[in-house]
Amino acid sequence: MFDVTKVKADFPIFKHHPDLIYLDNASTTQKPGAVIDGVKNFYEKENANIHRGFYKIAIETSKNYQSVRTKAANYLGAADSKNIVFTSGTTESINLVAQSFLEPRLEAGDNVIISAMEHHANLIPWQMLCQKKGAELRVIPMDQTAQLDLSGYKKMLSEKTKMISVVHISNSLGSVNPIEDIIELAHEKDIPVLVDGAQSVMNYEMNIRNLDCDFFVFSAHKIFGPTGVGVLYGKEKWLKKMQPIQFGGDMIKEVSFEKTTFADFPQKFESGTQNLAGVIGLGHTIDYLEKFEKKEVMKYLEMLGKYAIEKLSAIENLKIFGNSNHNSNIISFNLKNIHPHDVATFLAEENIAVRAGQHCTQPAMDLLGIPGTIRASFTIYNSTDEVDKLVKSLKSIQKFFA
Amino acid sequence: MNDRLRALYKTVILEHSNNPMYFEKKEVTQFVLKAHSPICGDRFEFFFDIDDEVVNNLSFYGHGCAISKASASIMVRKLRGQSIRKALTICAEFYNYVNIESALPEPMDEEFEAFSAAKIFPERKKCATLSWDEMSDFLTKYQNQ
Ligand SMILES: Cc1ncc(COP(=O)(O)O)c(C=O)c1O
Repeated sequence: MFDVTKVKADFPIFKHHPDLIYLDNASTTQKPGAVIDGVKNFYEKENANIHRGFYKIAIETSKNYQSVRTKAANYLGAADSKNIVFTSGTTESINLVAQSFLEPRLEAGDNVIISAMEHHANLIPWQMLCQKKGAELRVIPMDQTAQLDLSGYKKMLSEKTKMISVVHISNSLGSVNPIEDIIELAHEKDIPVLVDGAQSVMNYEMNIRNLDCDFFVFSAHKIFGPTGVGVLYGKEKWLKKMQPIQFGGDMIKEVSFEKTTFADFPQKFESGTQNLAGVIGLGHTIDYLEKFEKKEVMKYLEMLGKYAIEKLSAIENLKIFGNSNHNSNIISFNLKNIHPHDVATFLAEENIAVRAGQHCTQPAMDLLGIPGTIRASFTIYNSTDEVDKLVKSLKSIQKFFA
Repeated sequence: MNDRLRALYKTVILEHSNNPMYFEKKEVTQFVLKAHSPICGDRFEFFFDIDDEVVNNLSFYGHGCAISKASASIMVRKLRGQSIRKALTICAEFYNYVNIESALPEPMDEEFEAFSAAKIFPERKKCATLSWDEMSDFLTKYQNQ
């Protein structure tokens, strides 16, 4: 059985802030003691650079670093650890694909498809590239319930479509997008697809090989891991062909003043000394996650999400954005006539941490005609009790502003 | 509600944010000044003329939190019909109330004083100063032209 009290005790932050109700998990999650200790342990007992040492701790660290690659591959259900490139996070992963994969293939008159609810990290890299190449950025429309229009999407696919990049679960509206359909339709025309999994990697029963996307990206810090480390999963056929975009140490086979040959993938994308502690921390993060029965976690989160939607919907003059049938744990809402920032300030005084604003998705907010929302995002250490406290505070805020 | 919140959301602020003054979009003014906070999404436009170094017909329109809207409303009321020099003095006076370093002036301006809680809510300071920052910047540049 999933025991939220026990899970919460894994996270030292709540010992230091016993009253903290942390509902900003879509922004970043708290870290379990096992991850914090893992990073500390690395610096205390194993710290050495990888690839180049002949001594014990260097050999040990090189081995551990590579073993996280295997862990990440298994976690995603990837065919091989070679499919995993370590990056600094979702943002860098997407930029890497844009510049290394798409740039050489994109020509004037081509198009790239994204959706109306992209995080700026999955919008601007493609926009910049399209501008540079004279290509067109096409946007899958969404309706007022924050659902993507699949028939609109079908119509925009063409011979000139060179890439599709869509968010799996929207960080600002919580929509779970029909990523399987999007991929299938794209592959009928041999168009590669990148899935921004920043919000879905742990909130979705996922197997990357079944999903069959060409690229999948996420950040460790949103799944209880360290900041500054993330993953780019890519299919072998693409990673093999892609040229690195950053050059330096650790990514070469041979270098002379005339010529350099690069290492094989994924090493060729990891130039310079990497975020070793971050990668080691990601390994501990995956170990931590794998202690749970994923089905049980999903069941708990689904219950919590449903409970929160039910309780929030019951508040008068509260509007939830997006489709309440979605099963993600991100809930975006507004109180009538009260600005999201004023709400967030009041909640903060009661130790309830939420996000207020545009959540790095300004175009989506503009489409809905709102300046922003309050976003409560739940994860494994949150409880129905915390939902009740949120509801109570929201009601008292309404009273104050009435 | 605790005292800190009561200090931040004074009656003056709630009144101005619920019923902002000179809150209208105008089509034909000499100047339209935009104040936009990319982090918050707050967005205001100020419409005005400058005749003989005097700020005339000032109004504003847009959206933002209670603090930023009230602040814009109060600024518009205070600066209407003032000479640029006087307007800049009023701006400087306003900053005395929100900047942590400055002591509160005596006697106090009751409306300005309502924003002094920005000192205990540093993350909300930008809400109080957004409009003032844009306006004083514009007027300073205009004056130095
Ligand atoms: C859907 C989505 N994409 C991309 C990002 C960017 O992630 P990071 O800042 O870790 O690179 C985020 C984080 O907010 C996100 O939620």
